[in-house]
Amino acid sequence: MNAIIRTEKLGKYFGAMAAVHEVTLALQEGLFTSVIGPNGAGKTTLINLLSGFMLPDRGAIYFREKEITRLETDKRVKMGISRSFQVMNIFPRMTVFQNILLAVLSRLNKTSSAFSSLRSQKEAVGEAEKTLGEVWLQEKKDSPAGELSHGDQRLLELGIAVATNPQLCFLDEPSSGMNPIERIKVLELVKKLAAERNTTFIIVEHDMDIVFSLSDWIVVMNRGEVLAEGTPGDIRENQEVRDIYLGEEI
Amino acid sequence: MKTRLAILILVILLALLPAYAGKYAVYVVIHILLLSIFSLGFNLLFGYTGLLSFGQAGFYAVGAYGCAKILLAYPSLLVGIVGGVAITGVVSLALGYLCIRHTRIYFSMLTLSFGMMIFSLAWKWRDMTGGDDGLVGIPRAALEIPGLFKINMTPMENYYYVVLAFAILAIALFHRIVHSPMGLTLQGIRDSETRTACIGISVRKYRLIAFTIAGLYAGLAGAMLPPLESTVTPPLAHWSHSAEPVLATLLGGIYTFSGPIVGSVIFYLLKDIIVRFTEYWQICLGIIVVALVMGFRGGVVSIFLRKGGRP
Amino acid sequence: METLIFQGLVGLSVSMYLWLLAAGLTIVFGVLGVLNFAHGSLFMLGGYFTFTYYGLLGINFWLAIALSLLSVGVVGYFMERFFLRHIYHMDHAYQLLLTFGFILIFDDAVKMIWGGVAKIPPMPSFFEGTVSVVGRPFPVYNLFIIGTGLAVAIAIWQLFEKTWWGKMVRASASDREMASAIGVNIPTLFTGVFVFGAMLAALGGALGTPVRVVAPGIGAAMIIQAFIITVIGGLGNLKGAFVGAIIVGTLSAYGILLFPVFELFLIFLIMAVVLMVKPQGLFGGG
Repeated sequence: MNAIIRTEKLGKYFGAMAAVHEVTLALQEGLFTSVIGPNGAGKTTLINLLSGFMLPDRGAIYFREKEITRLETDKRVKMGISRSFQVMNIFPRMTVFQNILLAVLSRLNKTSSAFSSLRSQKEAVGEAEKTLGEVWLQEKKDSPAGELSHGDQRLLELGIAVATNPQLCFLDEPSSGMNPIERIKVLELVKKLAAERNTTFIIVEHDMDIVFSLSDWIVVMNRGEVLAEGTPGDIRENQEVRDIYLGEEI
Repeated sequence: MKTRLAILILVILLALLPAYAGKYAVYVVIHILLLSIFSLGFNLLFGYTGLLSFGQAGFYAVGAYGCAKILLAYPSLLVGIVGGVAITGVVSLALGYLCIRHTRIYFSMLTLSFGMMIFSLAWKWRDMTGGDDGLVGIPRAALEIPGLFKINMTPMENYYYVVLAFAILAIALFHRIVHSPMGLTLQGIRDSETRTACIGISVRKYRLIAFTIAGLYAGLAGAMLPPLESTVTPPLAHWSHSAEPVLATLLGGIYTFSGPIVGSVIFYLLKDIIVRFTEYWQICLGIIVVALVMGFRGGVVSIFLRKGGRP
Repeated sequence: METLIFQGLVGLSVSMYLWLLAAGLTIVFGVLGVLNFAHGSLFMLGGYFTFTYYGLLGINFWLAIALSLLSVGVVGYFMERFFLRHIYHMDHAYQLLLTFGFILIFDDAVKMIWGGVAKIPPMPSFFEGTVSVVGRPFPVYNLFIIGTGLAVAIAIWQLFEKTWWGKMVRASASDREMASAIGVNIPTLFTGVFVFGAMLAALGGALGTPVRVVAPGIGAAMIIQAFIITVIGGLGNLKGAFVGAIIVGTLSAYGILLFPVFELFLIFLIMAVVLMVKPQGLFGGG
């Protein structure tokens, strides 16, 4: 199997602090991968680097063996990489439908069309409607996104991220702030989307039960470095991982 | 359907204006139309893209001086106006490229400084701009396409129709743009720049487009001024003139299509009416601005709509 | 050579008004995150109050200045407590717009109260006269201004470095939440900082009263200068504001000699270049 995304000695430093240090990874296409680790382990920074939201100080990133280390975010999205955010990042003044529609328009390269009405963009509208259904927001399509409940906003984040039809999608704590039942529902939805849309998901998640039951591959980070990676079974047996999660049931 | 009927009636009323209203009313309406165009452009940047510019008067002045210079050299109304707009387009594209690298307060300060650079050129570059006397004796040249037609513009009523035609065109075009995929893209940038980038949109490119369009609208409003007043002076470029579209837009409503237009009407009439009673009209305006910021950020239009819809 | 030195001294005295003006603006921005458009109007009010107390009511010059600082402080208190405080959470654009509304209000208010004509109050007798600098007469008052400006700079520096209040202000400027967590009363502190900034502007305006024209519209002209200085020095950077004020003051003194036509253009060009190349200011970190 080929790596969909690969890094070589990736490093990002804030002053004396190494947020990400010497990270060399090769993540496989089609494997549902989770990145775990204690707070401040560098998980979000890693996703920021891979999605182009931040530029690394050292190392290199390859997407399907094409170097993208310093490529702008929007160009990475065009190549098929998208992401969601840990802190809510939607378009609050636009309707739920418009949130998704904009992502679809971007994928179809229609955003520079200045003289056609939104309604006349039949293909985009159809696709946006479909995506809305996939993330269970069909009934709320005309509400302003900023007025949705927290759980629905998280679903909308997911909807926007998949609406660009990515081959690779990073989700930064897609279920944060949700109760355990909602969490399982959302992550099962992500798995379903992965299968239906043929998208490789890489998620950051704190709920270990979910991580170990749903993931195909787990990357454990600690203090900016990759401590271990492997199948859930391997990780469960790893003594170092058990040490950093001391006292936690994994 | 109702809205369409209302717009139709409004256009008819405007078209018949010279028939039932006096010269002064026509003059006032021309100014309101110019301010509306100016404010619409400003609001494409502010209300739709989230960038507060304090330098729009600079582009207005480029349009006005550009048109004035052309008319003084070659008296043809169409050439003057189109030429003025074209020059503004080039200037706003160039300055836009430099300004859109920043957002928030830095963008506002940068536009302020470029606007004031244009002001100081207008004020001090005597050979080109006439210095603080400005350019005078600009002809209201005939509307002419050689070989096709030539309409005398000496009566202000005739010129009014030219302004009205340009205004309707500009407003209709604006309506198209903000309801297009590009309009939605700009709103996305306003709501969340990072989210917009993360769905594959080049934020800078669209900021530059919005900046240039805003400049073109300011330029159009400016270019139609010299034939009316027959003179242009440096205060047109001053930052306090940049505040006019800001205030008009704020009055009418930032997040509505018609806000800047309604606001322009209110702004101009307010000025015109309050000035009759007191010379202290600015204080009234100031109090209204403070009240709007504190309580009614949707502006007048949203009070009628009761929510932030887009008519 | 004489001209250079003399003009430099003229520039320095101009710089000191600008410094007093910009100091308050940059402190308020640094701590509250608000760019106060009406800051120049507070400078203007300082001038008008001094004119009233000293020029019209005949109160002692020093007392008149103190009273006018107090008066502008009260105005600042009302602005912060009843208006700005309620919109801190909103986009910066609304704060600019609100304070812009205050420019309009203050401008007309002074016209209503003091009339539209420029006011030139008399110079206090003990400041009349000149001293000879490189063989030319230099007004004593200008020397006094230079001295005061430097003294205020040292005093503010001491205030922020040495006093408990100053340390609290710096703490809340760098991390609002942390300051709040260690028990700093943020709303009260913000009001205090805003009033302090307003009084600094008023001091500039008050000291300018005997030599500069007090007129409506001064506020709008001054705020642009203040913007230029704080941008050059870095928004929120106090040292930067001091150096920025000296650059702009000196440049306008020499600019009149060297580029009489494009002085204004030059200053805005510098502002724009700084914003584009180093938006954190010439003296900002990073």
